[in-house]
Amino acid sequence: MSGFEYILQQVINAVSLGSLYALVAVGLSIVFGVLKLTNFAHGDVMMVGAFTTVLLIGVGVPFIPALFGGIIASAIAGFLIERIAYRPVRNAPDVTRLLTSLAVTYILENVGILIFTSSPHNFPLPDSLNESWQLMGGAITFTNINILTLALTLLSLVGLGWFITKTTLGLGMRAASEDMSAAQLVGLDVNRLIVVAFIVASAFAGLAGVLWAAQAGVVQPQMGFTPLLKAFVAAIIGGFGSISGALVGGFMLGALEILIVAFLPDAITPYRDAIVFSLLIAFLLFRPGGLMQPNREIKL
Amino acid sequence: MTHITRRTALGLGLSTAFILGTNGSAFAADPIKIGFPANLTGNAASLDGPMLNGGKLAAAEINAAGGVLGRPIELVVYDTKSDATVISTVASQLIDSDKVISIVAFSDSDSVLAIGPQIQKAQIPLITPGATSPKLPSQLGNEVFLACFGDNVQAAVGAEFALNSLKAKTGYLLTDIGTEYTTLLSDYFVKTYEHGGGKLLGQDSYKTGDKSFTAQIAKIKALPEAPGFIYAASLVDEVTLILKQLRQAGIDIPVVGGDGYDSPLLLQVGGKAAENTFFTTHSYIGAGATPKVQAFMDAYKAANKVDPENAFAALGYDAVKLMADAIKRAGEVDSAKIRDAIAATTGLDGVTGTITYRPGIAVPDKSVSVIGVKDGKLFLASEAAPTFVPEP
Repeated sequence: MSGFEYILQQVINAVSLGSLYALVAVGLSIVFGVLKLTNFAHGDVMMVGAFTTVLLIGVGVPFIPALFGGIIASAIAGFLIERIAYRPVRNAPDVTRLLTSLAVTYILENVGILIFTSSPHNFPLPDSLNESWQLMGGAITFTNINILTLALTLLSLVGLGWFITKTTLGLGMRAASEDMSAAQLVGLDVNRLIVVAFIVASAFAGLAGVLWAAQAGVVQPQMGFTPLLKAFVAAIIGGFGSISGALVGGFMLGALEILIVAFLPDAITPYRDAIVFSLLIAFLLFRPGGLMQPNREIKL
Repeated sequence: MTHITRRTALGLGLSTAFILGTNGSAFAADPIKIGFPANLTGNAASLDGPMLNGGKLAAAEINAAGGVLGRPIELVVYDTKSDATVISTVASQLIDSDKVISIVAFSDSDSVLAIGPQIQKAQIPLITPGATSPKLPSQLGNEVFLACFGDNVQAAVGAEFALNSLKAKTGYLLTDIGTEYTTLLSDYFVKTYEHGGGKLLGQDSYKTGDKSFTAQIAKIKALPEAPGFIYAASLVDEVTLILKQLRQAGIDIPVVGGDGYDSPLLLQVGGKAAENTFFTTHSYIGAGATPKVQAFMDAYKAANKVDPENAFAALGYDAVKLMADAIKRAGEVDSAKIRDAIAATTGLDGVTGTITYRPGIAVPDKSVSVIGVKDGKLFLASEAAPTFVPEP
């Protein structure tokens, strides 16, 4: 394997990992943008989507329809969470809302454990998606699920871009995320916008959850924690609450994690997470608005 | 038993009544409480779950045969959720409220490290069925005993298996730096492999919970010379993904590891990618096993409706039998005497091998089974004691 092929392979790896992080981070950012709420339950909404898909595949539904089933289940879960848990505390102090979101996380996770136990379950990904492509005489490899992940990420992001720039609902959502009270003053139905934001964000969580589980090969009730943590970092690097920022942050984080392992000496590799989180602290200290929103204060 | 005292005779009579279906606490005597905290949920669940089932089976057999010192034994079970904070809370509960006399606990070294200081302070002996760090007794103190071999022994067997059976003179090492178990295993492996003349072409690391190993794998592919095998000091959740991603990248060389792979998930999640994987573990539980193991398998299946999932089921069984044997030899229900009796154990014949503690050493010398995966099934590839064992 030549140097060029090695670099190309690592770039493919970085894009494939980054697209997953970006998907999760975008959902997190949509909710934060509108509600200024760090939705810790986002990872558990991913879990809902992943388990739904596994159950659907289990009763014989093909992968793609099952994937959409998972997305719909996540969207419904998001809708219910907003209605039942977040709306009553919407005007409460930040700490109350933060704790509510943590409580929702624990409830969902434990309900998951009660139903499915906490042992990992196999994710029945069809063999056709597990097949790998060997290019340049086997020097470059990637799998069909990698391609599908990237394609669905791009497709859903283009769709989201269209939604928030071209539709009245989407424009309203952006208006609400810029200034909630102003949006209310000009006559926008803020309740409706928040519901829409939750549904869209949760659908993204569902998609991300299914793809994450498909790549990992397993589902379990606690599966949302790691992606949530990564998405959090990605969102802060990109600029919390900014959708484009989350996207850039997600791909940057994926690239960073791969590059540290790929190109730094072996002795450094164990410090990968330490390096990533140091970068997070550096961003919070010197550029709290992230890449896309210089100097805008964020509150968690 | 050489003579039957009045108390044990009474116990025997009563336990017969118990078997005949009174279906309640038919024992007149108070049960001897043995703590059994286990990670029934979380990371370690696929190991601790079978371990608890094995322990319960042993306790049921002991009670059916009249208990110990004329009293039944009772396992006091809590789910510690693979979480060090929960372990610490449960330890206080067991020691202060339940007043257990001794503890049987855990399949992983990190959990034992979490409970160790408290049981050491309370001077309650602990036998761990499956935590394999040979450093545990020296790190924690004289109350801690292993019912299994140490990681230095299994890593040595893994290295010698690669050298002698796989004829792999070059290797590559992948280490999960997120757990005590995997980092120790990795160190011991390097020592034995290099001592035996093997050459490592490189090594890399990752952390428990990682899902993408593609960067590490691309590095292996980019090596100027392809290694003969990969030693992955890993837990089962990660190794299944490593295997999938390795095979997808076109790397088909053998992958060798430790008893962390010994979970049904290896085949369930690994699928075809698990072919050509080998791991060291405590006992081979499957078709063509020894009569002793076969008897255990039948009893386990009768009690749990499933075949033993892995060797940890047998370790849980052996550890409870070992504890009961020590209580019997101690002659009274006293933690200090029980500890001394555990330390004096010689030639206890268990499902996972014979347990003997050499003076002052709380890790038994046991042989190691090497299990391989072929055509989607496990097979016993070798049963060995290592010729060179690195110092703990």
